Amino acid sequence: MSNLTENAPAAASPAPPNYAQELEQLADLALLVASARDAMSDEMVARLARSFSEGVALLDRLTRNEGLMRLLQVLDRPETQHLLLGFSKALSQMSREVAIAPPARGGIAGIWQLVREPGTQEALRSLSVLGQYWSESMRELDRQATQGRTST
Amino acid sequence: MKILVVGGGTGGTIVANNLSRRLAREIRAGKVVITMLSASERHMYQPGLLYVAFGQMSPDELYRDQASLLEPSIAFHVDPVTNFDLDQNRVRTQSGSTHEYDILVIATGSRIVPEEIPGLAEGAEHFFTEEGALRLHKRLMQFEGGTVALTVSIPHKCPVAPVEAMFMLHDFFKARGIRDKVRLRYHYPVNHVHATANVARWAKPEFDEAGIEYETLFNVKEIDPARKVIHSEEGTEVSYDLLIAIPPHRGMEVIEQNKLGDGGWIPTDRYKLTMDGHDNVYVIGDATNVPVSKTGSAAHYEAELVAENVASFIKTGAPGREYDGRVYCFIEAGFDRATYNSFDYVNLPELKRPTKSVHWFKVAYNQMYWTTVRGVL
Amino acid sequence: MSESKLVDARNSFCPGPLMELIAHMKRASVGDTLELLSTDQGSVEDVPAWIHKVGHEMVSTEKVGGVWHIKVRKAK
Repeated sequence: MSNLTENAPAAASPAPPNYAQELEQLADLALLVASARDAMSDEMVARLARSFSEGVALLDRLTRNEGLMRLLQVLDRPETQHLLLGFSKALSQMSREVAIAPPARGGIAGIWQLVREPGTQEALRSLSVLGQYWSESMRELDRQATQGRTST
Repeated sequence: MKILVVGGGTGGTIVANNLSRRLAREIRAGKVVITMLSASERHMYQPGLLYVAFGQMSPDELYRDQASLLEPSIAFHVDPVTNFDLDQNRVRTQSGSTHEYDILVIATGSRIVPEEIPGLAEGAEHFFTEEGALRLHKRLMQFEGGTVALTVSIPHKCPVAPVEAMFMLHDFFKARGIRDKVRLRYHYPVNHVHATANVARWAKPEFDEAGIEYETLFNVKEIDPARKVIHSEEGTEVSYDLLIAIPPHRGMEVIEQNKLGDGGWIPTDRYKLTMDGHDNVYVIGDATNVPVSKTGSAAHYEAELVAENVASFIKTGAPGREYDGRVYCFIEAGFDRATYNSFDYVNLPELKRPTKSVHWFKVAYNQMYWTTVRGVL
Repeated sequence: MSESKLVDARNSFCPGPLMELIAHMKRASVGDTLELLSTDQGSVEDVPAWIHKVGHEMVSTEKVGGVWHIKVRKAK
């Protein structure tokens, strides 16, 4: 014997769907649109459209700029970010120190003192290494460009 | 592959920019060069002239520097063409330069010729130039009452302009509080209130409701500015206090001087948009003799089609698709409502009732136009 | 020397066959015959309405295939 059939109430036909809530929501939405329309004027529409148009045109120009897009890719890399952050930190520390240091007096004696400072040697070494890689990179680009012209 | 675009209006600018984008790779590799020759360093948004006439736009909003609208790869010269030597695939310009081409796109447009109708230039106002629109605006602001008559001479660009002008006049005088002192009379060449059947069916009851009088089968023969009377070819006479005349148009002088087309309208295949007898010459916009409305939208769709066809021909040699006669025209029905007519060679749907939303779409489009000619929209 | 010109306004809603005819009439000389091609039923009534009001001549109207061939002569 099953209690499923004994205690179950008589099966009733399903109630028709009630969309009253959804219709009210739709009406609300329509009212919102109508009130926005009432608030808008020709000038507001023109201004919005102008901003949108100029924005889209600018976006179009930016996204088609290969240099910019490649730059964005490079900027995405953590090493690049560290490099830029390190550089900017060094710049701000440098600016603080130089601001409070007395002005250079000029002359050979000043140069001699500067040459002896560790900072100078660091800077020159960094520049020297940078120069090596930078020049090599430029020579490589030139080689590629020449090859491109002669191979077509 | 040298592509030459003659004319820096709506059609010319869109075709040049579109081609420049599609053929960017070929241009970078030096295989394709696009040159544009124009008579002006400025680009004018012509549909804005109607709004200038009614004081809703100022003239400086109508212009942009042509160079600022063009892709950087396009060689642009403000140096109008004086001679077309189509058999030799070259043109000569005002400065004496010669430009050879492999593909030519003629987009020289059309001009008004009010002098074709005696008395029109002296007696009538119009809104087809900046000067004309400003003068009309002044007269509208000074008008205190009487009959304002509008006449239409053919052919003319912007087919719905006469109808729009009537509805704007109605709202304008209502806003000034003198609508009851003004009689608005509309005159049209054929036996309906508009040449396009669906516009005529829509406009007639709207005219009736706005109290706008109309006379059809009225072709302007001459104007008597002293007596302020318009004489029609059909033998009727109408008196006016202020006359707004849509002037007759012709193609540009250089087209007529070079005998490229009767009336300045170049014989063009209506589907391929190539000049009759010259498969490497395309003609778009007002300059064609194609029985399509002389509108910016037609020039736009034609330009996109030509750019697509030329680009695919250059890249793959494939034949192009055909122009279906597509046109999209906004129709202002007053200061704050508008409808639109979207049709082609085969379909002509009924107009929808005017709404504020479509009017705002037009207001927005007055700004979005610049994105269109840049090839972005 | 009067000429005969063809005005092909088939499948053209705007400006429409009669407008095309009127524009071509303006450029024609007195005595010229113009033959208008139209796929619009309305042309059959519209063209004579204008021709008669303005004082030109109707020459003939016939339907070939789905196209009306309407011949008119410029009389003044």
